[in-house]
Amino acid sequence: MSDNENPAAAAAVDARNVKVGSLSSLVNTAGVYGIALLFLVLGAILQVTGAIGNFLSPQNMLNIVDAVALVGIVAVGMSFVTYSGNYADMSVPTTMGLTGYVCIELLRYGFLPAILGALAVGLAIGLLNGFVVGKLKANPIIWTLAVNYVTMGVIRLIWVNKQIYPDMQGSSPEAVGLFDSIYRLRFWNLIGLPLVILAVLVAVGQFVLAKTSFGVKLKLTGSSPKAAKLSGIAVERVIASAFILAAFTATIAGLAVTSLSRVGAWYNGAGYDFKAVTAIVIGGMTLAGGRGTILGVLGGSLIIGILNNIMTLVGIGTFSQDMVRGAIFIAVVGINAKSLRSLGRDDA
Amino acid sequence: MSEDKLGLALEMRHVRKRFPGTIAVDDVDFEVYAGEVHALVGENGAGKSTLMKMLAGSFDDYEGQILVNGRDVKLHSPTIAKKYGIGMIYQELSLARPIGIMENLLAGRLPRKGLLLDRIAARRQAQTLLKRVGLDLDPDLPIEDISQHEAQLVEIAKVLGNNPCILVMDEPTSALSREEVERLFAIIDSLRKRGIAIVYISHHLPEIFRIADRVTVMRDGKKIATKPIGEASHEEIVQMMVGRSVKEFYKRDERAIGGTRLKVAGLSRWGFFHDVSFEAKKGEILGVCGLSGAGRTELARVLVGLDRADEGTIEVDGARVKGSTMAEHLEQGIAYLTEDRKVEGLALRLPVDDNVLSVIVDRLSSAAVFSKARGLPRVKRLMGELSIYPPDPSRTVGNLSGGNQQKVLLAKWLASEPKVLILDEPTRGVDIGAKMIIHSSIEKLAREGCTVILISSDLPELVGLSDRVMIMRKGHFTREMSYGECSEESLLLAANGEGNS
Repeated sequence: MSDNENPAAAAAVDARNVKVGSLSSLVNTAGVYGIALLFLVLGAILQVTGAIGNFLSPQNMLNIVDAVALVGIVAVGMSFVTYSGNYADMSVPTTMGLTGYVCIELLRYGFLPAILGALAVGLAIGLLNGFVVGKLKANPIIWTLAVNYVTMGVIRLIWVNKQIYPDMQGSSPEAVGLFDSIYRLRFWNLIGLPLVILAVLVAVGQFVLAKTSFGVKLKLTGSSPKAAKLSGIAVERVIASAFILAAFTATIAGLAVTSLSRVGAWYNGAGYDFKAVTAIVIGGMTLAGGRGTILGVLGGSLIIGILNNIMTLVGIGTFSQDMVRGAIFIAVVGINAKSLRSLGRDDA
Repeated sequence: MSEDKLGLALEMRHVRKRFPGTIAVDDVDFEVYAGEVHALVGENGAGKSTLMKMLAGSFDDYEGQILVNGRDVKLHSPTIAKKYGIGMIYQELSLARPIGIMENLLAGRLPRKGLLLDRIAARRQAQTLLKRVGLDLDPDLPIEDISQHEAQLVEIAKVLGNNPCILVMDEPTSALSREEVERLFAIIDSLRKRGIAIVYISHHLPEIFRIADRVTVMRDGKKIATKPIGEASHEEIVQMMVGRSVKEFYKRDERAIGGTRLKVAGLSRWGFFHDVSFEAKKGEILGVCGLSGAGRTELARVLVGLDRADEGTIEVDGARVKGSTMAEHLEQGIAYLTEDRKVEGLALRLPVDDNVLSVIVDRLSSAAVFSKARGLPRVKRLMGELSIYPPDPSRTVGNLSGGNQQKVLLAKWLASEPKVLILDEPTRGVDIGAKMIIHSSIEKLAREGCTVILISSDLPELVGLSDRVMIMRKGHFTREMSYGECSEESLLLAANGEGNS
């Protein structure tokens, strides 16, 4: 009575599953690291052929890792926004800039108050984004882009277009020293603090996404917000949390970048929005939401870091680098959309 | 039967369509005469849709021969199919929602004056097309501002605008109310008189007996039989469809009905329903009958906390239901199975297990850590009980057949073990096999003491399952009928505001 209701249709479905599997394997989590390895090999070949100098030198490897750490920190937080089906948080660049300013400005009251102040400001931006996108259902890209510009205006208004320096605000040398060490602290003279932070964020992020009830709710929300809502899930709160997480890691990255450059400047976070989104989609997280892993995003960040490094060594200018990254982004999103469309779904 | 092939609008000879690993349509002969309504029936996955997609030009690799009006044609693209006068009306609407009715109707052939759109002529043409389907709407209204059934009729008008000689209708009545179905049948009748060959796909057998001249039954990709409708009986068709005999569709077992579970008093949502009061008992199936727009779904949405009530109270087991969100109502035991399976019901991109467990994420978590392993036995048990095919919890829901998707949706709510389960059109558009399983599962649920509120437009279903039926009309509860009193006819009369009260 209950046996095989429609074997023909089921078999047809099987066939489709296989097809999609082969197409999207390019962007699978494991595949991402394969691609990263390919880029490393490419760099090595370029060095052997003499096209670039010292790609394989320990110092250059360290440069790559440090750059990956910064992009990765931003990308891990932003992944939650993408996973929730809200594409990306475009307010990241000025969130990074503003929190850097706030930290330097507050450094005169001590290191800890400065860090806490910066975090408070960052989280406030995340809360605002979360409320407006989650509760009021604004378009996430348009809204966060607008926040990005407004924040830039706020920075220029408050600091009257000036850059500020940690050691010129009347702060104690100890506080300045601690601030400098955010980026420069190295364990065993090798592993930088940002890398340690990234490792912690990836581990925690992967756990939260894959193992916690919040992660499951996020997946349901990203896959189908209406069905999630009618399953009794507080979709607004879930989305808001995703934006808060994105702002949190953007703040950390903002502090690291500001510590690196030893200057508060509005452009400190410039480009990190797109670098992070590219790392996320290369890492196999679909823009449609509800799919992907934090480990994949880490792999995506690795690819972006290696690629940037190679392009810089080859001598490709910043603008051309943007062009290459844009092209890669388009290609990955295209492959993704194509593989989903072959499933008969146009919601990619 | 008829030897003369004259008057055949469509002839498909030995057509076959393979997908990797399977044959979806296997050596099928299918003929439709001009001026004939030919019903095509079969369970989901029987091959009806593939056969019709072949006709619509969706495949360029089918085998066999297709003749349209006696001419051998190769229907290798939708454009070619359209050229030969084949029109398709799908269940899922193909209208662009933010665009006006007129632009949708005349897409691709808007009249022009020089380089500009000739609005006056376009409006006139659109109105003529709308009149053909009995709609009197402003052609400038965007599709999103008209109701779903009006949109369905606009869709039909759009296809008719291409003057097809063969018209395929796939479940055209699934979104329509009774009156609108009658209107559609009148339209089909006039098309038949004009010599158009109509292929009519439906799960709803009474409709087929009402409108079709002949019926073809498919199962597992093969044609089982073609019969004049006068020579076929309901039972015979069902038997051919499911490949087994269906004796008693609605077999009632005795159920013990307990004390009051749900008490609703003076509930109103202004503009939708007013002063609704009723009680439902433990183990009772309470049917809610009404025409579309009577306020049934709106009532359900308030009961479950999706919308706010303007007045009135809801009590479960004597305790007033608190809170204004769905999560809070769920916690107090009220659950709601939506009528919109694809958008509101399921996350189609996720596997079966994620969907089934979506309501009880918190219950399966301890210290915020979710354990799918803890929920998996429940998923497997429900999949077995509901015969969800294939029996694999990791299968993506969007790849299942409609009937199996609906079973997954039901499984999701069964998993939450509610005190009161509101079912909104639980078997719309599913095949007979799935329907039987869903029905027996609803009865089992009631036997276990759950209060079921069954909102349905399927009158045999309401009559067959309900212990009591409340009739809703224009936002009010107008009557109540017990199992003994209600029949399809009496319900229909009452829903229309007629009959003795």
